[in-house]
Amino acid sequence: MNAPAVAEKPVPRSGRSQHRHFAGWREHHGWSAAASLRRLGRRPLGTLMTVAVLGLALALPLAFYLLLANVQSMGGALGRNPAISVFLKADQAGAQANLLAGELRGRPDIASVAVRTPQQGLDELATLQGFSGAVHALDDANPLPWVLVVQPKAGLDAAAVDQLVEALHGERAVDLVQDSGQWRQRLDALLDVGHRVVLVLAGLLALAALLVVGNTVRTDIAGRSEEIGVLLLLGASRAFVRRPYLYAGVWYGLFGGMLASLLALAIELALAGPAAELDRAYGGSLTLGALPWWLLLAVPLAAAVLGWIGARLVSARQLRKAL
Amino acid sequence: MIRFDQVSKRYEGGHEALSQLSFEVAAGEMAFVTGHSGAGKSTLLKLIALIERPSHGQIVVDGQALAKVGRGGIPKLRRRLGMVFQDHRLLMDRTVFANVELPLLIGGIAPAERSRRVRAALEKVGLLSYERQLPDSLSTGEQQRVGIARAIVARPAVLIADEPTGNLDPQLAVEIMGLFAEFQDIGTTVLVASHDLPLIKRMKKRVVVLDHGRLVADIPAEEVL
Repeated sequence: MNAPAVAEKPVPRSGRSQHRHFAGWREHHGWSAAASLRRLGRRPLGTLMTVAVLGLALALPLAFYLLLANVQSMGGALGRNPAISVFLKADQAGAQANLLAGELRGRPDIASVAVRTPQQGLDELATLQGFSGAVHALDDANPLPWVLVVQPKAGLDAAAVDQLVEALHGERAVDLVQDSGQWRQRLDALLDVGHRVVLVLAGLLALAALLVVGNTVRTDIAGRSEEIGVLLLLGASRAFVRRPYLYAGVWYGLFGGMLASLLALAIELALAGPAAELDRAYGGSLTLGALPWWLLLAVPLAAAVLGWIGARLVSARQLRKAL
Repeated sequence: MIRFDQVSKRYEGGHEALSQLSFEVAAGEMAFVTGHSGAGKSTLLKLIALIERPSHGQIVVDGQALAKVGRGGIPKLRRRLGMVFQDHRLLMDRTVFANVELPLLIGGIAPAERSRRVRAALEKVGLLSYERQLPDSLSTGEQQRVGIARAIVARPAVLIADEPTGNLDPQLAVEIMGLFAEFQDIGTTVLVASHDLPLIKRMKKRVVVLDHGRLVADIPAEEVL
């Protein structure tokens, strides 16, 4: 048997003792992490169910994020050059159209102006499904006006485009101004709402994840009250007793987050086929969004932190009750 | 060393478990606390381990006045004690080795040193070959010896035991008490609560007798018949 300890008096910790204390603390962290992982492995069904609930909860905002990113990307691609169509009055001839086009080209907020003749408009109409019969019925009469296709300068904000549309409306020869960029503005507004919804949803589901981990750890602590009592009698500090439960929270969060990232990737893969079809339909001009790699890595890490917080909140309360 | 100075303990509801109790167990001494059921033996041990606080009086354990030990200091004090319980309080899902290792793990002892000390403690109680087994597979006596190994593995200055032979047959009880006497021989202060008078007499150690929380006799070792 080893020699008994002599009576210890509280003395200040020396550097060597502090180093030993830190090494012991670090070692217990490793031990707690491994022990909590083994405990999760000992009840695989319960662990899998908790991880699945967390994974699904965290995958939902990721899926919405993916959807929004794609809609935004499509909107960006389709509305990259939002032109303004300026329809001239029926009594305006080509000369007036060219004159007005020349004047407009001098404006600093306009990049280009294309003049489309009534005949070009009619030809275009004839190519559209269901209109060819109607165009033929017109014989030689062409009711379409001259149209100026005005391309605003790149980077013009919505207010400046509105001012330009207003100015075009004010021209004497102009009958109607159609701003094709307006739909883009509406889409952007809808996307803003969507982003806000995703944020709120992510917050709520993160809270749900926190509660799921908290409740699981609470049950775990309640089931191990005897062990906790023994550890405390043997001189374990609260931090020592709590540590394995905090690691359990971290593992739940980490695995739940990893599952969420995998699910999001699966959703992305499932959408890849239809997205490619859509891209082909638009002549390859679409750049569809994918989940950034940093987000896929950040989700498990953030979920691990959430798990830690959930376990920390519950374990503090449960251990107080256990003492 | 353990010193009780005019210690009383009154529980909520008015029951007085200990009354004006004063005695001292010197460093390296072994003593028994005995008395009928409800005499205050377990309360006395709970006060030493700071599971309970006295209502009145002073307790000093291993040079530390317990009144000065705050909530945060309790774990540190308990790490200086070895405790043996009647029901062993072993963790049934951990091996014998892991159970005995617990106080060292709590104390932040390095793995190699832990392993060495656990094996030494298990060898001392004759259970080295059982280190990989779960406590469930051991007999009651063996489980108690695992509990003792756990209590002494961190080399405590003070060892307290609450009815450590309560569930054991007489032969095994003598063996267990013999172990406690060996710890005393190497300088550990040992205080054992027991109501097994024949066993106490056989050990020929100092006996503190309680009755209704009061000290009614303090018999030196040499006077134990």
